[in-house]
Amino acid sequence: MSEVIYLDNAATTAVDPRVVQEMLECLGPCGDYANPSAVGHAPGRRARARVEQARAEVAALVGADPAQVIFTSGATEADNLALLGAARFYRERGRHLVTSRTEHPAVLDACRQLEREGFEVTYLKPGADGIVEPAQVEAALRKDTILVSLMQVNNEIGVAPDIGAVGRLCRARGVLFHVDAAQGAGKLPLDVNRDCIDLLALTAHKVHGPKGIGALCVRREPRLGLVPMLYGGGQERGLRSGTLPTHQVVGMGAAYRIAAAELDSDGARIGALRQTLWQGLAALPGVSLNGHPTRRVPGILSVSVDGVEGESLLFALPGLALASGSACAATSGEPSYVLRALGRSDRLAQSSLRLSLGRFSTAAEIQYAIEAIVAAVTRLRAIAPPVGS
Amino acid sequence: MTGGDPRYGDGVRARMERPRGVGEFTPGPDVATGRAGDREQGAEVVLQCRVTAGRVAEARFRAFGCPHFIAAASWLTERLTGGSRDDLERWDWREVAEALEVPAAKFGRLLTLQDAVRAVAGNWPGGAASTV
Repeated sequence: MSEVIYLDNAATTAVDPRVVQEMLECLGPCGDYANPSAVGHAPGRRARARVEQARAEVAALVGADPAQVIFTSGATEADNLALLGAARFYRERGRHLVTSRTEHPAVLDACRQLEREGFEVTYLKPGADGIVEPAQVEAALRKDTILVSLMQVNNEIGVAPDIGAVGRLCRARGVLFHVDAAQGAGKLPLDVNRDCIDLLALTAHKVHGPKGIGALCVRREPRLGLVPMLYGGGQERGLRSGTLPTHQVVGMGAAYRIAAAELDSDGARIGALRQTLWQGLAALPGVSLNGHPTRRVPGILSVSVDGVEGESLLFALPGLALASGSACAATSGEPSYVLRALGRSDRLAQSSLRLSLGRFSTAAEIQYAIEAIVAAVTRLRAIAPPVGS
Repeated sequence: MTGGDPRYGDGVRARMERPRGVGEFTPGPDVATGRAGDREQGAEVVLQCRVTAGRVAEARFRAFGCPHFIAAASWLTERLTGGSRDDLERWDWREVAEALEVPAAKFGRLLTLQDAVRAVAGNWPGGAASTV
């Protein structure tokens, strides 16, 4: 085992060595490093072929046509392009959007920007299990609603709403449906046609691909309008100007191809490890699971630990790399807004741990983590005053 | 580069890894107890001093809070030993802030510790101020 057990795969993952190898083939003087837009020469055409192969691999994982895939710098940019781009394009049709309170900041902050531009946003409150139900979405739709945005898998607690049901509802009502699939793509099945998804934000680095590359799948039939955010060379059909980073794109394609091939086997193995982890921690009194027990992604476990303070708990676990909440918010010191939205008290939200497993997590690491957490919690509780003393 | 967390100084690390002064005394006429803080607010401490001849013979604590808070409570048990009631009434949280390099964001929690020290002084065995 390594010096520190990595259980923060929801923040980012190690790049799979198979992906690294394919990326390396696009770097260096003998590699396919040429500008993929420079199709006037052979090296450029080789790079372009690599990019198109990767585009097809990304599309295949989510049941899309390759022409739907617009490469971006990651899911944050894809979310922004989807929300800002669609809302600005369709602003004469309506100015109302629906999302949930537990979305990633990439969506919430984009919605706040749209509010500054005159749009109205309804923020749905999930149930105590963290799930936003289709009936809630239906109740929130108005005549002027132009877009609904929900995440496939919540990044803090791992729960997964019924994306397909919401997609069919939106399609029937003529409302655009955007899904942030940063945490779910390659881990839970997803199909843009079956699930009636108009805009799908993807990233590579949550599924053992490189950081700095993502994609937005945009519905083509009928064509969906977007106002671009970047202007320049007109790459990616004018929706995302900028030279494509061939090695990153190829890395994303490889990661998605591997994820598609290993989704079932990885999911079963990682899900079993997560269950072992949960059972080991649940043996401690005062430990509760955050989120629905079964409607969830295999690799994310979020628990609240009563009777210990969150920062001290993390301090007491130097051998584990894990999160006390979303990595994006962990530096703020504020209790997680996701756990607050679920009705957790500030104290329980603050004493939560997110343990996220990945392809390279092992049974030995999970056993070590259980023992380390049980020991740390027991020690900190022994220091604390008895409750009600 | 090392993986050491720069938020914590050596004093905090040492006292979190091996906290000294944890526990409580059997209640008795020579034991003064001070409580402060609120677990819901993220910091709670119970501080006890066993008093002999008008001075703290030994101090113990229990604390719920962040590493700085627990380490400061542990530090306090040694700092108070040998002190009089007057010393406890005059003790200022800035002393432990400096000793353990506590960041400004945590100063409020040290005031909670100061409240506990004052409460111990208020519950001093015999009630009268020390003249020793």
